[in-house]
Amino acid sequence: MEEYQREPCPWRIVDDCGGAFTMGVIGGGLFQAIKGFRNAPSGFGRRCNGSILAIKQRAPIIGGQFAVWGCMFSTIDCSLVYLRKKEDPWNSIMSGAATGGILAARSGVAAMAGSALIGGVLLAMIEGVGILLTRFTAEQFNPIAPGEMQDPSALGPSPTPPQY
Amino acid sequence: DMAMDNRSSGIFGLVNPSYGAGDPGMNVPLHSSGGLSQLSPYLNFDPSVLQQTQPEYFSLEGASQKRGRFELAFSQIGGLCMVGGGLGGAHGLYKGLHETALAGHTGKIRRTQLLNYTMKRGSAMANTMGVVAVMYSGIGCLMYWARDSHEDEWNTLGAGSITGLLYKSTAGIKKCAIGGLVGLGLSALYVACGSRESRDKLKEQYNNFVY
Repeated sequence: MEEYQREPCPWRIVDDCGGAFTMGVIGGGLFQAIKGFRNAPSGFGRRCNGSILAIKQRAPIIGGQFAVWGCMFSTIDCSLVYLRKKEDPWNSIMSGAATGGILAARSGVAAMAGSALIGGVLLAMIEGVGILLTRFTAEQFNPIAPGEMQDPSALGPSPTPPQY
Repeated sequence: DMAMDNRSSGIFGLVNPSYGAGDPGMNVPLHSSGGLSQLSPYLNFDPSVLQQTQPEYFSLEGASQKRGRFELAFSQIGGLCMVGGGLGGAHGLYKGLHETALAGHTGKIRRTQLLNYTMKRGSAMANTMGVVAVMYSGIGCLMYWARDSHEDEWNTLGAGSITGLLYKSTAGIKKCAIGGLVGLGLSALYVACGSRESRDKLKEQYNNFVY
């Protein structure tokens, strides 16, 4: 199938690392392109040069930071799945909080707590949107209960009984 | 024609009965051979009517057995990133051990310095390999879509050489060309010996050549 399907858990970490790196490189590249363009001395050639220089210097670093975040998130997620033996949104929320906390470990306990809170809230919003979308798209597949039909002509002409 | 559609009827039924020797279902031993046939005489059949080899993987109708480029892209990028991180980290650790021993650091300072060297080299190498992987996968996917979903080795070769050219494009014409050639060489190597089928093909050709 052409649909996006997630890998089973150990390989999911590699997938998520790559996906996060790609997002970081492309997003960071675009951002740095505009920033380098604006911060360069006047003249179109020099601005383009500045933009390319900024991309070359900063985009891989941003990509790497995203990749570390994605890798850590996915590792904690898979560990929680293995420990709790079930897959649900709580795993993602807890992983987001833990990742935010761990990656801010160098700045002290207060920064860790704040970062963990932001990470948890962010993931909770993402998961919430996902759940709402799933519920919304699943409604169209509900079967029609017998008493609910107001206008049976929507079903088409009634079949004629066989003539013997 | 109605006379030909059933070989067991009419004159053909006498000459070529459907239960004659030409019917593989009749290739049954006269005496029971034990095993399954103990259970039932109907289990004496010629096993050649069974399909012996089963396909190794099931797939939906119309879906190709190999994975498409886009599906493989993220795991390739992530894998190369991690491999680069590992290699760079090992290199940094080696260099760090050397340098700290030379400078005579001990204890906590040495630990911090080693960590610094490892992380710096590791992340630099991971970023470099990751960027090359992103370029290669992106250009490969673009070539696949530009050629109307046609997949063959030229996609790989083209993607490799363009990645090499692009990666060194800001370093001058000569280095750019060398980069392109390196990319072409690596992707040609992968196409020739990277996957099992290409290695089998090479082995076959070697056998044909030698014998």
